[in-house]
Amino acid sequence: MFHIDFSTEGEIVCSGRLDAAQCAIAQAFMDSVAETCIVDFSNLEYISSAGLGVLLKTQKRLAESGAQLKIINVNNHIHDVFRFSGFHAIFEIEAKQR
Amino acid sequence: MHKKFVRSYDSLEAIYEFTENILASRNFAQAIKFPVHFAMEELFTNMVKYNPGNVNDILLDIRASNESITVSLTDFDVDAFDVTSSRDIKIDAPLEQRKVGGLGLHLIQKMVDTLKYEYSDRQSTVTFTKGTG
Repeated sequence: MFHIDFSTEGEIVCSGRLDAAQCAIAQAFMDSVAETCIVDFSNLEYISSAGLGVLLKTQKRLAESGAQLKIINVNNHIHDVFRFSGFHAIFEIEAKQR
Repeated sequence: MHKKFVRSYDSLEAIYEFTENILASRNFAQAIKFPVHFAMEELFTNMVKYNPGNVNDILLDIRASNESITVSLTDFDVDAFDVTSSRDIKIDAPLEQRKVGGLGLHLIQKMVDTLKYEYSDRQSTVTFTKGTG
């Protein structure tokens, strides 16, 4: 199960598994973001390449207005996916504290 | 163990549970399970995405030993598409030049130990292995 919402602090909080079946939900949410925002992956267990596409599409759109997504609390496995994808060069990414 | 799944993204949750039950029964570490789930779901998703009108289910076969996990996905009545061919993915490109899509097979090739493609009689079979060591 995947869930995405704003926290009371205004951060985007994701949880569960962001696979191809859930990307429409994630993209619809991200399309409403218009300024720089922190995305908390503390409780995100899994992301597919389709999920990476949601992040990349949003980052490209925000960059046109000088804004960006910053991704925090990324688990080791998703961190590897980001590294293999070259996402460290195009996102600010912070690993989960152990 | 093998099982057929309906050609739909909605099958991903059932595939995860089917696979997780097999892997959990052998107490594989998350570092092994994550790439297995990832590769399997990416390959299944590709089969759904590129043959949406095909009415055949997709066959998933998982064999686990102490040394490795072997997963095969078989798609029936499809054109050939070799998932092992090299991909021209520019992961070092700046944001404005990055294109959405195309990362899945690149990531699979990074995360599994072997990846094999077979095609015969309009039947595609993709097999990958992940060592447990």
